[in-house]
Amino acid sequence: MSRTARQFWAWPAQLRRHGVLGINARNADYVLCRNPRAHYPRVDDKLLTKQICETHGIPVPATYRVIEKAGDIAKFADLVRDRPEFVVKPAKGAEGRGILVVAEHDTAEFVTSSGERLPLADVQYHLSTILSGLYSLAGQPDRAIVEQRIVRHAAFDRVAVGGTPDIRVVLYRCVPVMAMVRLPTRASRGRANLHQGAVAAAVHLGTGVTFGGVCQNRAMENHPDTSEPIAGLAIPSWDALLAAAMNLAEKLEMGYLGVDFVLDATAGPVVLEANARPGLAIQLANRRGLLPRLKRVDAEPEGAIPPERRRELAVILAEL
Amino acid sequence: MINIRRAVPWVVGGLVVLGTVCTATRGYVRRQMPLTRGDSLWRLTYSVEFRARKAGAKVLVGVPADTRRARVYRQDLIYTGLDPVRSRPSRASNREVELVALRRGPYTLTARFDFHLSPRELSRSAEPSGQPSAEDRAAWLRGTKTIQVASPPVAEVLASLRREGARPADLVERLFEYCTSEIESGDNDAPQDAAGVLTAKRGTPLGRARALVALCRAGKVPARLVAGFEIQAGEEVRPRVWVETLTNHHWDSFDPVDGYSHELPHTFVPVRRDGTEIVRLTDAEQAAVTFSLVRLPPSPGIFRSGVRAHPLEILDLTRLPLEMHDVLAVILLMPLGALVTAVFRTVIGVSTFGTFTPTLLALAFVYNDWRTGIFTFVVTLGLGLVSRSLLDRLKLLMVPRLSVVLTLVVWCIIFSLSLLDYFHVASSTQAVLLPMVILTMTIERFYLTTEEDGPRYAVQLMAGTTVVAACCYAILRWNEVGDLLLAFPELHLFTMAALVLLGRYTGYRLSELRRFRDFLKTET
Repeated sequence: MSRTARQFWAWPAQLRRHGVLGINARNADYVLCRNPRAHYPRVDDKLLTKQICETHGIPVPATYRVIEKAGDIAKFADLVRDRPEFVVKPAKGAEGRGILVVAEHDTAEFVTSSGERLPLADVQYHLSTILSGLYSLAGQPDRAIVEQRIVRHAAFDRVAVGGTPDIRVVLYRCVPVMAMVRLPTRASRGRANLHQGAVAAAVHLGTGVTFGGVCQNRAMENHPDTSEPIAGLAIPSWDALLAAAMNLAEKLEMGYLGVDFVLDATAGPVVLEANARPGLAIQLANRRGLLPRLKRVDAEPEGAIPPERRRELAVILAEL
Repeated sequence: MINIRRAVPWVVGGLVVLGTVCTATRGYVRRQMPLTRGDSLWRLTYSVEFRARKAGAKVLVGVPADTRRARVYRQDLIYTGLDPVRSRPSRASNREVELVALRRGPYTLTARFDFHLSPRELSRSAEPSGQPSAEDRAAWLRGTKTIQVASPPVAEVLASLRREGARPADLVERLFEYCTSEIESGDNDAPQDAAGVLTAKRGTPLGRARALVALCRAGKVPARLVAGFEIQAGEEVRPRVWVETLTNHHWDSFDPVDGYSHELPHTFVPVRRDGTEIVRLTDAEQAAVTFSLVRLPPSPGIFRSGVRAHPLEILDLTRLPLEMHDVLAVILLMPLGALVTAVFRTVIGVSTFGTFTPTLLALAFVYNDWRTGIFTFVVTLGLGLVSRSLLDRLKLLMVPRLSVVLTLVVWCIIFSLSLLDYFHVASSTQAVLLPMVILTMTIERFYLTTEEDGPRYAVQLMAGTTVVAACCYAILRWNEVGDLLLAFPELHLFTMAALVLLGRYTGYRLSELRRFRDFLKTET
């Protein structure tokens, strides 16, 4: 095997040695086996996720309004009159699509977080595309959520460009197995989405300190826009975040789950959404494969794993 | 999870065993089917050579008709530069294939027909029914240049044979008697037309048949010439002509040359009713048409009891009319197209717009000329994308917006066709029926992907779609496999086994080998 060949691709044996979980294995062995189809609406519909969180005391951004009918769109300016800033998002959207962050507005004009000025008509059109299902998973009619805008926590000021970072925890059988923090870049246009060009750093499960890093599937140590190192940042309220993630996974009854948090400057970690098919780039950010950790969790007796044991396991897994 | 791991090999093994058993059973039954005495298989080949005087020159190839005792089970046409046209059924419901030359120049065409000949009845309804419209009836009573119904010799002979109060069937019998016994057979220099033959009392086989038709028509009995073949082993095969008359709502056959009446031997296979030429050419010169006939080795699977079919024959797809075979074969190839799509997606990791969009596009191209298809596809996609981005400014709601794009897609397809026809690239009757809804959704998805994930990713998805569609196209064009599946549809049990295996494939996708290549950096 030549040296140059190594840079273009990895051999399956090498990936296996690193315990890399491939997309087929994730779907066939974990998602299809551990996530009952009947529970999918709980994660696919963000309103339902929020409801479950609220019922069980897991913090979420406050819901201001739910836009369900065309009639609500006409009255939109009135509905948000008393909210200086808010976020509009489709209840069944995927990959951060269709999200509009309004930083300030009057009745006729809305200013987004990126400084773009939108007339009311444009915002209303955006709402109608959400309702008609443009962003929803299978194109079914959808609802639009108007919710509290999260104020970015100061911890990330130097490594987040144009948006709010989010923290993804992947849980298997309600045990946190891997985590990362996703930082928006100019390329990702403020969205904390890896496949749109955001950068991610791994988060150590035991300590909540960042390390590693990935951007566009390449190992990366510094933020591409600010050149700041993305390793060595401590995630505030890490234990509370992990506890909330484990609690939510248990309530959603999904065996293989990704939970996304944002850190609010005052409220701390709040749940943004959950994902039944969390992406695999988290392994690149960690420079570690998921398989050894998943197998370690499977070594536990079948059935519910007690919460104290889960926390212990998370620390053990961090070193695998 | 553990259960699944154990179950999959069982399911796959079960499918493979079942597939083997079913295929073997069918093969065995085919081989064991009793060989009826006298049944035989033949291959009739037409070789046609001609020069088209201009683009648009036509060739009409007569296809042997199914009779009660002869059945075409396979047809192949081999040609280049000709464009098949869907032709309207003619008055006498002849089966024919019409081809149009795309430019002037020399052409060759080979048509092969394999058929099954049996002294027993193979089917009941293959004979033409005798319920013509008034217009058709009039055409079968009318005179022509060579069948001079109103000429004196015809009237003379008819008058001498006609008896008062005789039924039409009796008259036909007398006329046939006259033509077989009173008219001598002559060589090529003998008269060829009805009046000439009746005057000279001598005629070529064609002339004698025309004389009989003229006499019948003059006696107010609808009659027509039939061109076809007598199937027998021999060096050179020449088409034969005989006569059919309509009495009591029933067509009767008469051969004045060999003297067969009412019922011809089962070796007579008609090709063109109401005509004398097997292959007709227009705007062509230097035409040469030769025929050859060989007996094929017996293939018992083809021989069936026919008339009173056993319900189990529902399982035999090859018994269905020949016209359906191509369509059935393509449909049966679809699962293989899906298998290819599955391999591309789960083993290679190529992403496409929509799961079965490539397969459906390939299917559309199979039914059309692929060049026409690709031209129309590219034009439609390009114009669709431009108009979609202009449309975005209007801020239309989704369903009306998609409908506007659909309308534009329809226009694009129709006008591309018109354009191609204008430049004589394809004939207008050959519709490019691309799946319009699929195209509309592809345009919408392409546009949204460009907006949301950038043009690079959109082009990447488009390239993936094209590659998968091309492979599906190659599969769907695979006639040999299509014919095999038609004979043994249970082979798809193996396809299913392969799909189940693919469904539980948990190895890395080829694309992941590149995606996760940076794992090697930690290795030193």
